[in-house]
Amino acid sequence: MTKELTGRIYDIQGFSVQDGPGVRTTVFLKGCPLRCPWCHSPESQEFFKQLSYMSMRCKGVEACDYRCIKACPKNAIELGDTRKDSLTGAELQMIHVKRDVCDNCGKCTEVCYPEALYLCGEDYTVDRLVERLIREKPFYKEGGGVTISGGECLYQPEFVLEVLKRLKEADINTAIDTTGYVRWEIIESILPYTDLFLYDLKHMDSAKHKAAVGVPNELILDNALKIAERGGKMQVRIPVIPQFNHDEENIRKTAEFCARIRDSITVIQLLPYHNMGVMKYLRISDKPVLEAVPPSDEYMEKLKKIFDEYDLPAQIH
Amino acid sequence: MYQKSPISDRIARIREKCRSTAPELDINRYRLVTEFYMANPQLTGILKRAKNLRNLFENMPTPIWEDELIAGWQGAKFRSSAIYPEVSWTWFMEELRSNNIRTRSVDPYLLSEEDEKYLLETGDFWLKNNMSSIVNEYYPQVLKDTLTNSGVIPFNKSENAPAPVGHFNANFWNATQKGFGAIRDEARAKMRELEEKGIWGENVQKYHFYNAVEIVSEGIIIWSKRYGQEALRQAEACTDPQRKAELLQMADTFNWIMEHPCRNFRDAVQCTWLYQLAMCLDGQLHGISFGRIDQYLGHFYMKDLEKGDITPEEGQELIDSFFLKLMELNKIWSERATKSNPGYTCGTLTTLGGVDMWGNDATNPVTYMCLQASARMSLNTPQALRVHEGTPDELWEAAIETTKICGGIPTFESDIAIIPAMMRRGVPLEYARNYCLIGCVEPCIGGYEWAQPGGDGSESYINIVNAMLMAFNNGVSTFRPEGAPLNTKVQGPQTGYLYEMNSMDEVLEAVKKQFYFWMPWHANCTNIWESIAAWHTALPMVSATMAGCMESGKDVMWGGAMFNSTGNSCIGLGNVAESLNVIDQVCFKKKIATTREMYDALINNWEGYEELRQRIVGQVPHFGNADPECDKYMTFAAETYADSINQCIGPRGNHWSAGCYPVTLNVVFGYMTGATPDGRKQGEPLADGISPVQGQDKKGPICTMQSLLTFDYTKYGNGTLCNMKFHPTSLAAKDGVKKLAAVMKSYFEQGGMELQLNIISGETLRDAQKHPENYRDLVVRVAGFSAYFVEVFKDSQDDLIRRTEMSL
Repeated sequence: MTKELTGRIYDIQGFSVQDGPGVRTTVFLKGCPLRCPWCHSPESQEFFKQLSYMSMRCKGVEACDYRCIKACPKNAIELGDTRKDSLTGAELQMIHVKRDVCDNCGKCTEVCYPEALYLCGEDYTVDRLVERLIREKPFYKEGGGVTISGGECLYQPEFVLEVLKRLKEADINTAIDTTGYVRWEIIESILPYTDLFLYDLKHMDSAKHKAAVGVPNELILDNALKIAERGGKMQVRIPVIPQFNHDEENIRKTAEFCARIRDSITVIQLLPYHNMGVMKYLRISDKPVLEAVPPSDEYMEKLKKIFDEYDLPAQIH
Repeated sequence: MYQKSPISDRIARIREKCRSTAPELDINRYRLVTEFYMANPQLTGILKRAKNLRNLFENMPTPIWEDELIAGWQGAKFRSSAIYPEVSWTWFMEELRSNNIRTRSVDPYLLSEEDEKYLLETGDFWLKNNMSSIVNEYYPQVLKDTLTNSGVIPFNKSENAPAPVGHFNANFWNATQKGFGAIRDEARAKMRELEEKGIWGENVQKYHFYNAVEIVSEGIIIWSKRYGQEALRQAEACTDPQRKAELLQMADTFNWIMEHPCRNFRDAVQCTWLYQLAMCLDGQLHGISFGRIDQYLGHFYMKDLEKGDITPEEGQELIDSFFLKLMELNKIWSERATKSNPGYTCGTLTTLGGVDMWGNDATNPVTYMCLQASARMSLNTPQALRVHEGTPDELWEAAIETTKICGGIPTFESDIAIIPAMMRRGVPLEYARNYCLIGCVEPCIGGYEWAQPGGDGSESYINIVNAMLMAFNNGVSTFRPEGAPLNTKVQGPQTGYLYEMNSMDEVLEAVKKQFYFWMPWHANCTNIWESIAAWHTALPMVSATMAGCMESGKDVMWGGAMFNSTGNSCIGLGNVAESLNVIDQVCFKKKIATTREMYDALINNWEGYEELRQRIVGQVPHFGNADPECDKYMTFAAETYADSINQCIGPRGNHWSAGCYPVTLNVVFGYMTGATPDGRKQGEPLADGISPVQGQDKKGPICTMQSLLTFDYTKYGNGTLCNMKFHPTSLAAKDGVKKLAAVMKSYFEQGGMELQLNIISGETLRDAQKHPENYRDLVVRVAGFSAYFVEVFKDSQDDLIRRTEMSL
């Protein structure tokens, strides 16, 4: 018997208003070849199911008799900080996961009833996912539909292709949110079933691109040109990250590139760096994370004007 | 693009005065009514009420406050509350004697020593002369012996009518377009006709009715003219030429309106306010609603605008003035009742939008002006917006922008669900299209129907969670005050014990039996109250305009209105659905615990079962996440309750109507509800409205909505309430407002009935708790109505914060 095709998903978000036109449901797939230091979804990076600890949900280990600590076969859980409960004012004893010891087996999550400890990542069959997405179809208004995002969703290409085919059969608008860093053949295979690509352009200088996120940009730019050539539609997204790509020179080069594929671009989004994802890092690691000052509104306006010069449809956010 | 326009200096001044004036008890009404009742024991029934009201019209103070354009008040002091001894009184004397009124934690009132002295001297007269005491004589012995203190129905051994006849909407079309001069003449003509024909048979009652209508109609004309004299007096003494001109114009208005059909928008707004105030003076202020205010005021405005008699700014200032009067309006409740209706609110709801009787969109400029009034003054006066397929995008946007400023205002009410719900209780389509909302969210054919949606003397709420718990404990309440022994008194049907039940079918059957026992008893007690109230507190002032009453010669309380119904609201629907789901998951499907263990856990308030409780709360699939296996119990709970109450018949020959809106009673009833299988401990809040248990809808608004679309809303003729919370960031995106409107439209197209939005963060609310002084104007929707957050009592604040934070 062949194994049924599954996809690894870390979140599904209804009433998603930031990921493409209209009201959408966004499916977030796990795993990504890039390691952007500003990534606001750090849990999306690794493909494996990852032990996460959301301290806000933890009732304190004293309240549950140290169940998680006792359940861990690797002794990877130790006492951590304390937290003051906002409503009762009580001091609650939190835990700390020794990441170098933890092997993400998930035994602790089975006994953590408040779900403070949980495994991030769940395997869905195509049927299970598509059934839910079709059930939500009445809500996909104002040109909305389904967005498949990540991580890099195209690192699970067979699953994504199958889901897209089924969504198109159900007459649902589809969007793929991609880094573009995948083999062309994969993009080519999903192209007929994809109404829109949400396409990231991070840096026009390949060396700088590689230095920051771990991979060069040639494949990404090349794929964008090919999508345009084939008549695909793109909503270009440019994360504006201080000390990385926010300089006018880079933005101007990005605009020049966009001008080459202007017919396929629906809109260009300039997304200023924000630090709302910082807390999420603490759930899955002890590693320090990029914390920067978000670019000012005035600066963002200035960058937008560069796109205006090229008569490109840019917007902030 | 929606724009909030600035308010005039005058409006800003009045608003500030209102927000900074502490409410005070005003004794004028009390004194006049007490003297009248003491002097007239020979008068009874409708004639007593008519003459009592006439006496008020002739003798109440007629103040016109500084700056006011729309005037009329229930006492001699700004932002004062009148006192209503005729309804229920024991609580008032108790709070008065214990000096609680001035000092209580929720909605305290100022009271002068002199007035206090008079109240203490005369108050005992009312102890047996109020509806609560009177109706108590009529209740069945089985209520007093067995059913009392059930925790299910709100009827007990005594003090069963804390609320007056309230929750209605008179016919403002007749008040503004016909006038009480014509109504008075009609009543006179009817009396002459009966005198000629013979005051025989059923005509006897009709004669009394017309007599009463004649008395109050003449009375309200006199009252208005007294205000006219006051305006004139002030005008004569006024040195500011602009204010003088305003006062003269007001004098002209007061001298004309009430007697004659209104001539213009200004007349109509003032007439609407004064008629409302008359009904408050008569019947005690309690959910008396304005109905479709944009519909009966709109054509006056458009006509004036067309003729060039008014500018949009002048029109808006009149609407602003009107809403400031609503903001000023308040009444004292018992401290206990105040906990479920905090914030000096009184449920004077206005309805906007919707379709006309032909099904066309009925939006007009006044619709927008009313929303503007709320938004630009951050008002807590409740508004309901009817939406349908043809509601203009511009109106959706205006409404959502308003709700961003005033949490939960307006509520969104779907014509798609509510019109069929009205037809289901026998109203023809063209009338059903004219429904309005009363009190919180209760639909009613305003001006045509006596729907009695909430004012049933003991309030219309039933705790279905305790009814369910009796099903697990052989008809015995599981609620046990701390230190008290186990209950043994059998109150409900003996449906066995949870640990004897071997399948979900048996569990559901037991719950059903309890529901079919308790809902009829709720109806029985309410019906008895109504039959007595119909005699002692008939409402000729309302009946004078209500369609059907003048034709039939019957008061609204006697079934004179064109349509009739009686409403009810259940509390704890989400807990019943979730508890049944949990029993299925835990005891039958996953076999995590036996029914015996579950029973013991409930009886012991989870003591010794903490691990099981945590597991249920955290790891069992919950109702509210679009999981059909869980949500099917919502279908069962919602429809079993609705069917068991809808079958009941009221004394006007009408059917009862199910509803589900808790105000903040989900918190108050929670105090008196035993532990529930969903992991809730005794005393904790119950679920809000039709919403899932707090924090258990974990998958976002779309999944929650899908779970809430699992029952037939047309069975809920008395309305439902659903608070949806949105963090402001979800609306910050481009077209965020449009997208939110789109989601709501989808929900309504699939049969949803009502939604209200709280777009606010938990941080904001917590900061407001710590620094109330910085958030004096923060309006939040507390279940069935909106209030100033800082005036809501702390447990409800905590509940709101908890709900908000769960959504992050």
